[in-house]
Amino acid sequence: MVPQYLISALVYACLFALMGMGLTLTYMTTKVPNFAYGDFVALGVYSAYTASKVFHSNPYVGSVFGFAIGAVASAIMYLGVLRPLAKRGSSMVSLMIATFGVDIGFVGLIGIYTDYLQYVQRLIDAAQFYQLGPDFSFGGYAGVVYAAPISVIATVAAIYLLFTRTKFGVAMRAAVENPPLARVLGINVDLVNTISWMLAGGLAAYAGALLTLQLPAGTATGSNLIVEIFSASVLGGLNSIFGAAVGGLLIGGSEILLTLDLGLGFGYAGAVVISVLLILAGVFVFKMKKVQARIAGAVLAAFGAWILIDMAAGFPVDFLSGELVFGFGPNVTPYQQAIPLLIMAFSLMIIPEGIFSIDFRRLLKRVKS
Amino acid sequence: MGLPSVILFGVNLVPFTIDFIEFYALYLAISLSLNLEFGYTGVPNFGKVLFIAGGAAFGGILSGFLAVQITGIGKGQDYLALSGRIVNQIDLNLVHNPILAIELMGFALLIAALIGALLGFLASYPAIRLREDYLGMLLLAMAQFFDVAVRTYSSSPIAIPDPAYYFSTLGPGVEGLVDDAIMVGFLIAVYVFIEKVVRSPMGRTLRAVRDNEDASAALGKDNTKIRRNVLIVASAMAAMAGALYSLYIGSFEYDTWTRFAWTFWPFLIVIIGGAGNNTGAALGAFFFSAIFKGLQQEQQALQKYVSFSPGFVNWVQDLLFAGMLLAILYLRPEGIIREKSSFTLPKKVLNAIAKSKGSGGASRTSGKDGLLARVMGRLRRGRGGRGESADASPGQH
Repeated sequence: MVPQYLISALVYACLFALMGMGLTLTYMTTKVPNFAYGDFVALGVYSAYTASKVFHSNPYVGSVFGFAIGAVASAIMYLGVLRPLAKRGSSMVSLMIATFGVDIGFVGLIGIYTDYLQYVQRLIDAAQFYQLGPDFSFGGYAGVVYAAPISVIATVAAIYLLFTRTKFGVAMRAAVENPPLARVLGINVDLVNTISWMLAGGLAAYAGALLTLQLPAGTATGSNLIVEIFSASVLGGLNSIFGAAVGGLLIGGSEILLTLDLGLGFGYAGAVVISVLLILAGVFVFKMKKVQARIAGAVLAAFGAWILIDMAAGFPVDFLSGELVFGFGPNVTPYQQAIPLLIMAFSLMIIPEGIFSIDFRRLLKRVKS
Repeated sequence: MGLPSVILFGVNLVPFTIDFIEFYALYLAISLSLNLEFGYTGVPNFGKVLFIAGGAAFGGILSGFLAVQITGIGKGQDYLALSGRIVNQIDLNLVHNPILAIELMGFALLIAALIGALLGFLASYPAIRLREDYLGMLLLAMAQFFDVAVRTYSSSPIAIPDPAYYFSTLGPGVEGLVDDAIMVGFLIAVYVFIEKVVRSPMGRTLRAVRDNEDASAALGKDNTKIRRNVLIVASAMAAMAGALYSLYIGSFEYDTWTRFAWTFWPFLIVIIGGAGNNTGAALGAFFFSAIFKGLQQEQQALQKYVSFSPGFVNWVQDLLFAGMLLAILYLRPEGIIREKSSFTLPKKVLNAIAKSKGSGGASRTSGKDGLLARVMGRLRRGRGGRGESADASPGQH
């Protein structure tokens, strides 16, 4: 039996992989970060809620409808807002502000819908609800434990096959790489972009619907997840769909597991591993041959060494190593989004091209030398 | 002593106007600081709420702590948990102690400015290194993290002492006038400061950084340093506005600080009025405040017609603002008032020079004078000429 926290981390990670892939698709085609992306997730959340509570069906049905609704909403946003503005020659910042405007518009629409659910359908928990059901179970685990990873694998496989085996996928890649040239070759770039956006909105809504099977959700869910979704996409490099999938898995997994560990404590072995990792990271940063990097590296390594010395000296001497072993308690959970945020900031500073751009062989050499 | 009441269409205009001025001055001050960053320097600060809320939280709550230390009321008690009761007593004490009240306000503003500058400095580290899209995502994510963190940390409001409490004992509505005076005074200070900056050679440098980084670097300007300083100054101003607002409403509530109210609305104001243009921001803020406050005033009346959704007017207002933004971006991206090209000297002086040198100096035509005359001639003729259209929409590289 796999422990429960690993399972929830897996589901969480898979959902972010799906959402990150969608955001990356929109970024690749229009080169604008979509601030309204969280609202597509919210659309999925509410189609699952509607399916489960209003029609007394299950959230999986909602996820299918959610995919369709998200796809349509996303296409409307692209065709109705972004394409006309881009055609008019708006700058990137103007387009970003426009997506911000679409964001507040979606919040208004979702607000009206939740009010309708609350006061006409008499569903008092519509604005903030616990996890939805019914979910099937198989082999002792809830259905979503299978559904989420399978969806990720299926999406990755489908996109891979689309990009490498079909004519449309090749046209899509061409349109992303060089839109004017693709247009010259007779590729309908607008159609390609519209379909990418539909796929992106659909994936977000689908992931949002699956989310309700695992976690409490509500009107704020979409906005609150923006930190993780952006981090996943940025870690993947914003230009690689598979990078975003890996980024989502890493972000989701590390957020849940690290928060849990910080709360409950890493144990002796875990604390030692962390301090060793800190020292290694410090040495790596120190080798960057820049004054700031040298200072930061020295501080990191000294910090790691300090924890080790503390522990060797007998442990509750210092609150820090003691907290690392025994945990900070449940009051760390409000700050759990700091983990994806930090990962995002660091990946922007160090690897702006994303996780796939790292040359691991060179990295290894650099650490060795 | 109370205020007179003037009733028009069932609305008592006096409290409405007092409230309106407060709101207008607050949002204009914030929008001006955003205009300095986004309109003039080209740093789109999508995490504005972070700096405003930071100023409100630290400036407001720390002034409460200071009041506890000085007056001794509620010393040794948990301020965060019992703030309501403690602040009630402090307010009553402040009535007899006007100097302390002024001190508290100054302290709150000072702390807010420091916190804002610090946050601006921290945010500037990525801001000066990243492209606009990455920067926007990072700042938005930072603000969202802050929002989620404080919301989960505690959901009950924290009360803050009210330095203008004395005036509320004089009669209903008098305190509102004093609050208005404070906020308008702050607004004027911000407006004059920013106008001074953008009309100085520094202002032309900011526009150069915005419009062409390479050119300004080639002319010996340090782009990163300029962007950093602008973020620090603008964030300090935004944080001070936040602190004044928290003193005005007398509490720090987590629900207040959404990215819509404190990032989107200022952007909307700047875009409506015209980026890179303080008069435009003043006009945009007026339109925005009029729509917002008007809807708020009539909310009860409008809400009667919609039974199924108690928040309907609010949601429609969101849709309205979204629609306004998209419409203005599409129909008139430069805003109501275009950005004007900035002159090195007052226009009259430039015209006089151009006239005297351009017409009289035909006999000894040096290339320089002829060039100046040509440039001035073009500037005088060409509203919407080449130089103008390059300035019109900021952030276009």
